[in-house]
Order: sequence, then C-alpha cells, then structure tokens
Amino acid sequence: MRRAALPYAIGLFPLGMMVLFFVGPLAFMIVVSFYESDPLGFYKIAFVWENYGKFFSSFYYTISLRSLWSASLGAVLVVLLAFPAMYIIVDMPRRWQLFWVILLLALMCLSEVIIGFAWVIVLSESSGVPKFLGWIGLWENPRSLAPSFGAMMIGYITLGFSLVALMFFPQMAQRDRSIEEAALTLGTPPLQVVTKVILPTFRPAILSSLVTMFVYFLGVYVMPTMLGRPQNWNMTVIITDKAVGDANMPLGAALSVIMLLFTLLVIGALWLASRKGRAS
Amino acid sequence: MTSIAKSIATAAGLAVFSSSAVLAEEITVSAWGGFFEETLRDVIYPGFTAETGIEVRSIAQPADQAWMTQLTNAARARKAPADLSLVADEVLIRGRNIGLWASLDAEAMPDTSGLLEGRVVSDGDGTYGVGALSWFVTFVTNTEYTTDAPASWADLWTVDWDGKLALLSNANSGLLEITAVTHFGGYDVLDTREGIEKVIAKISELKPQVNLWYRDEGQFQQGLEAGEYNAGLYYHDVTMLSAMDGKAVQSNFPAEGGVLSDAYWVVPRDSKNVDAAQKFINYMSRADVQAEMARNLGIFPVVPREATDLTDEEFASVGSDITPIRVQTEMHLREADWLSDKYLEMISQ
Repeated sequence: MRRAALPYAIGLFPLGMMVLFFVGPLAFMIVVSFYESDPLGFYKIAFVWENYGKFFSSFYYTISLRSLWSASLGAVLVVLLAFPAMYIIVDMPRRWQLFWVILLLALMCLSEVIIGFAWVIVLSESSGVPKFLGWIGLWENPRSLAPSFGAMMIGYITLGFSLVALMFFPQMAQRDRSIEEAALTLGTPPLQVVTKVILPTFRPAILSSLVTMFVYFLGVYVMPTMLGRPQNWNMTVIITDKAVGDANMPLGAALSVIMLLFTLLVIGALWLASRKGRAS
Repeated sequence: MTSIAKSIATAAGLAVFSSSAVLAEEITVSAWGGFFEETLRDVIYPGFTAETGIEVRSIAQPADQAWMTQLTNAARARKAPADLSLVADEVLIRGRNIGLWASLDAEAMPDTSGLLEGRVVSDGDGTYGVGALSWFVTFVTNTEYTTDAPASWADLWTVDWDGKLALLSNANSGLLEITAVTHFGGYDVLDTREGIEKVIAKISELKPQVNLWYRDEGQFQQGLEAGEYNAGLYYHDVTMLSAMDGKAVQSNFPAEGGVLSDAYWVVPRDSKNVDAAQKFINYMSRADVQAEMARNLGIFPVVPREATDLTDEEFASVGSDITPIRVQTEMHLREADWLSDKYLEMISQ
C-alpha cells in the first residue's frame, strides 16, 4: 500500500490541475450561459434559457451546420492526404525520413496567423499563384483566390497535415511489412492489398485522427476569418464576435455549450460506429 | 488569437504595475497598444511630466470590449488596472451603467471648457468622461485603379469597383449611418427596426462588389496597398501615413462627410490618483496639446480648429470641415444583438 501511495500522489497533481484549469472554467462557462446579458452594461446574474433560445433562430442553426460541414470535410481531406504521404515517407531511406519528420515538426511551430497571411499572399493576384498564371499566359485576368471556401480548406489542411502525419508515423514505421508482402506474393492485386490489408490495420488510427481533426477544425478562428468568406465563417467566429466583440458573454457561453454538445454527439456516434464495426 | 495574447501581456503588465501604483505623483495611463501608445508615451506625456512633476507610466490596452471585460473583472476585485484609460463611446456608456468610472470634478479641469460641445460627459453624479481625441474613417481608394476622388458615398453603389470593395464586418463600423445619410436622408430611419432593415437591405446591394468583409485591419491595409482591393472604408490617419510612404492609396472625404468617432479619458472607479488624473485630463484638453497630438498621431482634435495653431495643410491631413457622419452608439446599444445578428446574417448569406 505504502509503495502505491507515491504514484497516486503524483497522479493527483495533474488531476488537480485538470480540475482547476479545465473543469473549473468549463463549469463557469455553463453557469454564465444562463446569465442575462445587459447590452448597456455587462451581464446580470440570473437563470434564463433565453441564450439557448437564440440558437434555434435559423441563423445560428445554419452556421453550426456549416461548421460541422467544413470541419468534417477538412478532417477527411487532411487524412486522405497525410495517410499516403506518410506511407511513402516511412519507406524512404533514413536520411529522407528524418528530413520529412523535421520539416513536419517545423510546420507545427508556425502560428496560425503566419500560415494565414502566407496563404493570403500566395493566393493573391498581386504577388501569388494567380499572378504567375497570368504572367505565363494561362489566366488572362487573374483574380485573387482568397477569400474563398477552397482557400479556407487549404488553410485547414496546412494546419492539420503535420499533426496527422506525425500521428501515423510510429505505427506505420513499425508495422509488419511481411503481411503486405505475403498478400502480394500470394497474388492479391495491389489495390486489394490497400483495401483488405493496409486500411484495416490502420482503421483505429485513421478513425482517431479523423475525430481529432474534426474537433480541432471546429475550433479554428484565424483560417475562416482570414481565408474564408463570411459564408464560410464557423461557429467559433460567431462566438468570438459575440463574447469579445459585443461583450455578450452569456450568449457566447451558451453557443459554446451547444457546440460542445454537438462535438460530444459526433464523437459518441463515431465511437459507437467503430465498436459495432469491430463486433461484426 | 492576437487579442488573447495581448490580454495576457496586459494582465501580466498590470500585475507588475498595480503593486507600485501606490506611490503618489505617478499615474498609470493606458491606451490602445502599438503606434498609438508608443507615440503618446514618447512624444506627448513627457510634456505633462515636465510641467507637473507627475510621472506617467504608459501601458498598452487591448481592443475595446476585451479591455472592458478586464476592467469589469478588475473592478470586482476593487482594483484599477490604470489611473486613466482611453475608451470609445460605447465602452464609456456601458462602463458608466455598471459603475466602472470614477466621478470627476469638472472645476479641477478648467481647460476642458475649451473642448467641442458634448465632449465633457456628465450625469447626475458628475462628470465621468472627457473627450481625448477623435478620428475619421473615410472612403479610401487605390490610386492605381482610379485617381478620381469619390464625390459621394453613393459611389460605393454606383461606381464599378471591379468586385474589389472591402468593408468592415461589424455592424458599428459606420456603414449603417453612411447608408442612412446617403440614401435615406438622415439618421431617423434608424429609429425603428423596419427602418434598420431597409438600410441593411440597401447595404446588401453592395455584396456583389465586396470581396472582403474584414475584421483584421492589417489584412485590409496590406491588400489595399497591393491593389487587391480598389476601395473601402478605413482609418483616415493610417491611410495618410501610408500615402506619405509613397503607397498608391488615397483617403477621400465624400460630400456627406467622413465618419467621426471619439475616444474619451475615463478614470476607473478604484483609482487612488484621481487628483493627478484630473491634472492629466486638463493638460490633454489644452489646445496646444491637441495640436501636438494632431501633428504626431494624425488624430482629429477635440477642440475647435480656431483654438489650435494647426496650419491649413496640417488640418487637412487630419480631417475636414464637412459635418461628419456619426455612429449612432445609443441605437447600436439599444438594438445590440438583434442588430449585430441581422447584419451578420446579411453579409454571411
């Protein structure tokens, strides 16, 4: 018993920190979401459902659907690109593997704002890709490609790519290659090796990176505002506008709670689906 | 993201400053961070210290509403993050309603009587805000696209901007008021919700021409200078600075006027240095100091033009004599959520 006490005590510290810095603010956010906002002042302590009621006006509803759409699409695109990329990278000679891993790690230390500005410039007609296409004569009257939904997706992918790729890296590098080789030797067509052997092996990793990216993209703020049009702004942008721009904390808190519920629902559904998939 | 970083930086700064703020004859003054706060600190405040012996500690504050949130939280803890703060009128009004500002003695600030009408703000309990400076938002254009100065705000609708207009995404940018004055004969149309909806519908006619609804000023300014945008609404002072830098931009005052906004000095309720703060406000209200601020910061003075020694050229570089358009802050506060939702709905559909 005595010996077990120390690890417990060590474990208590992060647990305490979690409660203090995560559960505490979360509880406060839920409490504030029931307060009454005061446009002439700050907020009044009360218990009203009004802030939640506002969500069901068609406008917020539409925006939350848009957020779900852009976050899911972003997650799928990132995984679709990062999975094969990493598959190729782990089969490279060690030096090149190292090069790519370092590059991906370096990408992760860039701030969202820097990435956003970089893409704004790359996609601009005055100095970026459109200008180049105009110069070589492929585009007669080049126009900026940002802001647009596509530009925003490019931003999402830049944000998430290195994260997902590095999530795949350890498992992919250490996988048992002989299974694939055996399948090939026994005459399985390459495409079937991918669908029957490789994808099932990585199914849990793919699912968990999809969920991670989905949740991550639900909360991005800089990419939609810098690279997206108003039609692409997600719930995070609206919550920030409400809470910081209009100083309407109760409404911002209520919208955040709703988004949190949405997120939990989606994660729960995916978890259920993956359990069923394993059972069958 | 940046505003959060700023808040943290400010909060850290405050923790350091509030412990030393008890020393008499030193006041902490906060102003919007960046060029603004730096120029005030380096050029304007030393004159006050030389005259009164009161040291000024200058700190940077974040954007309006974020700053108000910090001030509200500080007031709950009975702390004043600064002895003086520069706030926009919306924060001035909201803060007064929840008792954030100290009441000031107008007689201790004799020079405030020289300010333009309405710049000394009082209620039954006394004076709580004094006009600090004003600034214009104007019709800015890229001179590589056109060198014609727009004669009227109606040009936003009628001139072909090649789909490259940039407007602000928030409802209180002044565009509602510009539209009301230009197309509905004045602010009266904004008295009712039906009226406001008509104005918003008029603004939505601009949508095919608008390719950026910005909230980040840097993004717009960089794009305008690069020719990504042909025209838009932007700060007069910053545009003048970038034109002087040789960039192809121009700030224009249409016939209906530019949009004039004010900032006020307030003293947070829990400040211990109200007397020194009043001396500071008095100093900042003097015509010579206002002229100095106009020259160095590009702001529009809150004293009558005749009281200053600004030359015609200097005056023209900071503003214009045309009766300005004013953001109807009371209306924005009254309609609050309803209006910002309608506006957002219009631009995001």
